[in-house]
Amino acid sequence: MNIGNGRLIRIVCLIGVLGTGSCKKWLDLKPQDGIVSTAFWKTKEEVAAEVIGCYSSLLAPPPSGNGSNDRSLTEYLFMWGELRGDMITLGPGASSEEVDVTNVNTLPTNSITRWTAAYRTINYCNTVIDYAPGVLKQDPTFTQASLNEYLAEVRSLRALMYFYLVRVFGDVPLKLTSTTADADLQQLPKTAQKDVLAQIVKDLSESEANAVTTFGDKVSDKGRITKYTISSIQADVYLWMDDYNDALTACNKVINSGKFGLIQGNGNWFTTLFYLGNSNEGIFEFQYAAPVNNPFYLMLESPSRRYLASGYVSTDVYNFDSNNPLNADIRGDGASLLFGDGTIWKYVGINSSTALLQGSYYTHWFVYRYADILLMKAEAEANLNNGADALSIINIIRTRANALPATALTPDPTDVNAVSDYILAERAREFAFEGKRWFDLLRFAKRNNYARLDILLDLVTRSVESDRQQSAIAKYKDFNSHYLPINAGEINSDPSLKQNPFYN
Amino acid sequence: MKIFYYSLLLSGLLLLQGICVHAQHAGLVTGVGTIIRGKVLDKEKKPVHGVNVTEVDADKRIIHGTTTDVEGNFALHITSPKNVVSFTIVGYKPFTEKIGDKTYFNVSLELGSIDMSEAIVINTRRSDNGLVSIPEKDLTIASAHINAKVMEEMQATSIDQALQGRIAGVDITANSGDPGAGMQIRIRGTTSINATSNPLVVVDGMPYSTTIPSDFNFGTADDQGYASLINIAPSDIKDITILKDAAATAMWGSQAANGVILINTKRGSVGKPVITYTFKGTVAQQPSSIPLLNGDQYSTLIAQEYINGNNGRPLNTQTQAPALAYDPSDPYNYYNFGQNTDWVKAITQLGWTNNHNISMSGGGEKARYFASLDYLKQTGTTIGTDLTRTTARINLDYNVSDRIRFRSDLAYTNTNNDRNYVNGSSSTADGIRNIAYNKMPDMSIYAYDQYGNLTPNYFSPASTLQGQYTTNASTSTYNPVAMALYGRNNILTRRVTPHFNLQYDVIPSVLQLTSDAQFDINATKNKQFLPEIATGLASTDPLYNKTYDGDIDEFIVQTKTTLAYTPTLKNDKNSFMAFLSLQTSDDKSIEQQAASSNTASSLLQDPSVPSNTTTSSAALSASSTETRTIGAVLDAQYNLLDRYILNAGIRGDGNSRFGPSNRYGLFPSLSGRWRISGESFMQHLNFAKKINDLSLRFSYGESGNAPTTDYSFYNTYSTFQYSYAGQAGLYPSQIGLNNLRWETVAGKNLGVNIVLFNRKVDLDVEFYQDRTYNLFFPNLSIPGYNGFSAVNLNVGTMDNQGFEINLNLQPYRSKDWTVDFTVNLAKNENIIRTISPFFPASNTGNATGNGLYKSFLQINNPLGSIYGFKYQGVYKDQASTIAKDAKGAPIVDPSGNPINMTYSYPSVNYQFQPGDAIYKDVNHDGNINYIDQVYLGNSTPKLTGGFGPTITFKGKWKLSGFFNFRYGYDVENTTKMTTTNEYGYNNQSTAVLRRWQKPGDATDIPRALYQSGYNWLGSSRYVEDASFLRFRTLTLRYTIPPQTLKRLKIKALSAYVTAENLITWTKYTGQDPEVTLPGGNPFAVPTDVSVTPPPKMLTLGLTASF
Repeated sequence: MNIGNGRLIRIVCLIGVLGTGSCKKWLDLKPQDGIVSTAFWKTKEEVAAEVIGCYSSLLAPPPSGNGSNDRSLTEYLFMWGELRGDMITLGPGASSEEVDVTNVNTLPTNSITRWTAAYRTINYCNTVIDYAPGVLKQDPTFTQASLNEYLAEVRSLRALMYFYLVRVFGDVPLKLTSTTADADLQQLPKTAQKDVLAQIVKDLSESEANAVTTFGDKVSDKGRITKYTISSIQADVYLWMDDYNDALTACNKVINSGKFGLIQGNGNWFTTLFYLGNSNEGIFEFQYAAPVNNPFYLMLESPSRRYLASGYVSTDVYNFDSNNPLNADIRGDGASLLFGDGTIWKYVGINSSTALLQGSYYTHWFVYRYADILLMKAEAEANLNNGADALSIINIIRTRANALPATALTPDPTDVNAVSDYILAERAREFAFEGKRWFDLLRFAKRNNYARLDILLDLVTRSVESDRQQSAIAKYKDFNSHYLPINAGEINSDPSLKQNPFYN
Repeated sequence: MKIFYYSLLLSGLLLLQGICVHAQHAGLVTGVGTIIRGKVLDKEKKPVHGVNVTEVDADKRIIHGTTTDVEGNFALHITSPKNVVSFTIVGYKPFTEKIGDKTYFNVSLELGSIDMSEAIVINTRRSDNGLVSIPEKDLTIASAHINAKVMEEMQATSIDQALQGRIAGVDITANSGDPGAGMQIRIRGTTSINATSNPLVVVDGMPYSTTIPSDFNFGTADDQGYASLINIAPSDIKDITILKDAAATAMWGSQAANGVILINTKRGSVGKPVITYTFKGTVAQQPSSIPLLNGDQYSTLIAQEYINGNNGRPLNTQTQAPALAYDPSDPYNYYNFGQNTDWVKAITQLGWTNNHNISMSGGGEKARYFASLDYLKQTGTTIGTDLTRTTARINLDYNVSDRIRFRSDLAYTNTNNDRNYVNGSSSTADGIRNIAYNKMPDMSIYAYDQYGNLTPNYFSPASTLQGQYTTNASTSTYNPVAMALYGRNNILTRRVTPHFNLQYDVIPSVLQLTSDAQFDINATKNKQFLPEIATGLASTDPLYNKTYDGDIDEFIVQTKTTLAYTPTLKNDKNSFMAFLSLQTSDDKSIEQQAASSNTASSLLQDPSVPSNTTTSSAALSASSTETRTIGAVLDAQYNLLDRYILNAGIRGDGNSRFGPSNRYGLFPSLSGRWRISGESFMQHLNFAKKINDLSLRFSYGESGNAPTTDYSFYNTYSTFQYSYAGQAGLYPSQIGLNNLRWETVAGKNLGVNIVLFNRKVDLDVEFYQDRTYNLFFPNLSIPGYNGFSAVNLNVGTMDNQGFEINLNLQPYRSKDWTVDFTVNLAKNENIIRTISPFFPASNTGNATGNGLYKSFLQINNPLGSIYGFKYQGVYKDQASTIAKDAKGAPIVDPSGNPINMTYSYPSVNYQFQPGDAIYKDVNHDGNINYIDQVYLGNSTPKLTGGFGPTITFKGKWKLSGFFNFRYGYDVENTTKMTTTNEYGYNNQSTAVLRRWQKPGDATDIPRALYQSGYNWLGSSRYVEDASFLRFRTLTLRYTIPPQTLKRLKIKALSAYVTAENLITWTKYTGQDPEVTLPGGNPFAVPTDVSVTPPPKMLTLGLTASF
């Protein structure tokens, strides 16, 4: 008996020791997949990967974890820029939420008002801004100069995201610090649009000095933020702020660099500019490439697609020459859309007749291209009372595209309104379905304290169901309705965030 | 079968022999060398062969042993003459004799054996908390006990089904009626909003893992939907104890905050081998569904709906919907879209279940065994669903001596569960049944060719009016019949649980050491296949023939070491007991998942087949996680004069899921019992003799709940699965939750036990309040500008309170008749006391849209209130749409014209039209908006419970019935909403046949309005009182009397018939009023989405023992 006794006690002791003696270490477990932050931010390669990650987030929601079931940013940008415009109509797969937005009837519960995709990228940028400087101490091969280049990229990208947000929502919370732990979570009030714009201007001008002019390869030059991308964003921001001199200066920086030009308007124009992408005309394009598809198959091409080109686009925006079908605006049939069935073709076609194969939708999303710079310059010139200069730029664009005489206007160069209308119409033709239409309309309409509100009121007749037009016009007369409501989910989780006026 | 049996027995015996040999060997080392000899004969003086002759010491430990030869002779080395020599063999009564100086033994054995019933003498019912056992009458905690007799009658496939409705305060609801579907078990409601509100299951003293890591993609199953409890065969269960109050669960620490279910499996007892065979056969029928439109009615509705919703513009039947054209000159569409298909019926079948269980138990003084083999085959009421389960169990007990005892249990389970393919990630997101409900009824199941001839191919066009197959479950559609038959979602589980237990009496009857080690090897494989013949997708589509294969291997090692101290006090008027227990667990899981698509054929269903792995729906992933916990409990119970009993304990817990600063927690408990009936003042009362027990109990206890995910306190970075501009990118994938703390449940319980009239009345009443501090909220929505949209946080304090009454009555008892009656009643409610500012004040803010109800977070008010508009019917004509003020006079605009009733002016500004729904304008401002939302009902049942009689006649016939009910609770009838909203292309219920169609129609169903209008706002129209009383089971059992059986050489034989879910009395108009109650989430209310309802079942059962 005694034998068992002693042996058992020893075994029990052993179990006890194993169980408790080293339990401090025993409970300390680390994940095997994913890098733990304490082990991160040590080398310049990690900084580079994290900067690239900011761009990657533009293409699709993150593969796992937070936000993985969100729409891609590109999809939001398309919806925000086109749903309230007059260029699209809804297809068979459109949801009632989309119907509501086109009819100027957006409720705060509408998921199209979710801004998380943009803020996710902002947080990635903020993370680089907060942690990359610390790597200087860790990695002696990491230089201040290359740190500054990286920071210029992410701060500009952050500025671009905020620029989209202020145009869609008006006043938005301005978060400039990263969220990495639960202690970083904040509940912010909204920041006034002008203050957000001031931050955007500040970020852009500070970045401009450090940004590179080239990364050495074409893909990065078009897919990442260079000095010229910054100038392009600046031009857009200044136009939005009605600061025409600065807008003009910014446009001229891009033009004078001599690095960009218009792609010749021949039979290869569509394929070169859109299908292949990264052309001489491109300034900043979201670099969709295998294996990540852009979201447009389900939106524009599948049998249950959600969007079609509005009938008005073929008849009024581009028009056609019934005597000579070959004499056509190259941007119209077989480029922006198919006149036949209204398919939005820009992201679907390889050339004017062949469609992409499902699963290989790699057409880029075009944020800025050279034509935009030219027309932004025209807009600045027009508002600086250089109407003639503006008209000559419009003509460069029209000539390249073989725009039809039926769409030509002959405004008095001194009539700012008339020239502006022409620019707006030309922008519709040039940037059809590139997610710019609503922002253009609103920018022109709000100028000089909403002197051109008629632009939006006229829009209603083209974009809203006939029985809802009166109500939509009444709504647009309240300037607050030009911005989308803040999503109910955001309001709910932040008591200090007030709903946008109109939507209370 | 027989062969299996013998081999099982043989392997058991071999194991025992191994132990014997070891013991002998140990003895020899110190042996003295005396030899005794002898001869064993029976009463007829014939030698007995094979008798175990052993030298046994005072602790009954075997020192040496041998067996007699053919002549009955033996020779044995002995160690000490103080020991005894023992002679045992099956079939004879054992015989022992002191050795002393004797060296030759002439032994004569008597025939006969020890019967099972004689061996077990039950004087007090004992109950245990899984760690130590305490007489039930001395329990200071709230618990409920179900014994084997009750278990026997249940025909359920798993224990949770069997317990449904039986115990006060234990709410068990099926997630769905499909085979293998999980049950939601709630003990006293939910104390947590945590994803795991399921109680801890403890099998034979060791925790039994019932969850699958949540990141494992089951396609269908959230972690609650998957039923791991199904891995235990109900026939193997001896009894079940449910620990309800916090003082009881505190012993089990983390995971036990939601209550503990203790399950003990059957064990062998001394006696001849008893073979028991149990058979259960069940047929199940799906109750009829909500009546839906047929094809003709549907096409009429859709045409009208589209015109109404599009300003009078009709649907273009040429381009938009040839499906509705009914054009005989286009035979393809005419036939394929010209049917009256009942899709629900097409996917429904009769369900069959067969369950065979065969077990053998028995044993002698030294060793006892219980072995069983169980086979279950179940086909569900939805086509394409079935479950096959095989379990084997062997429980061995071996007494080395009176002081050392071993137990070794081995359980093996193999389940093979075929489920329907489910699109989406939640079990209710998109069942096939849901699709069948919505599916266009004019479509054909099988395709017609272009000449109008029926073909054997399924009709699965890539796209119809209703859209096409997408990963968005709410808008997706497919051919449900083809999906049910050819879609694959198979879950294969193999689980082996060896459990070793050693008990050692350090000081006999004073200090006992128990040590357990359990290994749980659990392998689960999930294979899915999305067949093109059901979706009709193009062969280039990333979802075309999508395949998935996932494996998860879990390896859990748990240990438990308990030292129990029960000193014999000099004064027998008091007693003391204490124990210390150390517990550890290490849970490793390794996952591998692969998906691909575009395989060449629907027969190639494996991702390893050459196929398209570059699309975003394809993926290859592997991950491994590990969780470790450690716990120590110290507990003591003191009993004075059998009247005052006090128990105090403290538990420390450590968990690897917390960051270093919050890793450990300390949780005390205190409970007591005052037996008033034992007081002297009670003894003097006249009726004192009629009181068997009157006790008051109180308890307070804390227990900690750990988060559900591993490593959440780390801020991690992950890689994007694609490159950007040729370079790989990283992103911060997880926010570091450094501040996450233990969610602590502090429970108070007050209980009364009254036992009267010679135990004919047994009443147990409990009042409780569980207060949860640092309430853990998973995926709390946070402002999106933080870059993350949801995190896990500790958000506040919540109370969970209520009462429970359990009453067992024996109103009549005579020689032939016994009538028993049992009633249980419970009420539970959740109240939020404090909450984090991140927590929203209401679920939708001021916004209102179709289909949305509003719920507010009201501090200090019970949860579950539903707010919405008051539905008042339909605007009959134009005149009735004019807005009226409080006095009933029309409201006019500044120019004196009457204005129409308007929805949400100015942001929506929709003018109600004739045929639209009337909502009550509560403030009479002519504008229906959020201000007009009123209280519509509450989803917390006022009372839940069950009752039922059991009538026994002459011990042969037994009739038992059981009813369960919920009273006073409101449910959002989401199915009613989606089948009467007339808003899209989904099929609708026949109620819409009485819709408003032209001015003057007075009806309660608004006009059909495609994708517009506000006819299905969250309103009183879809909130219904779902109180019900359900006749759950009726069982008639006949036990053949032993006298009859003796001649047949059968020990026991009984047969029974059970009918389940016979009748449900309710005013509820939906399919089934027993809707899963959501727990804890302040805004969640029960919504009826018509998952497969519990079918009506008829079971035939047979139990035979030999």
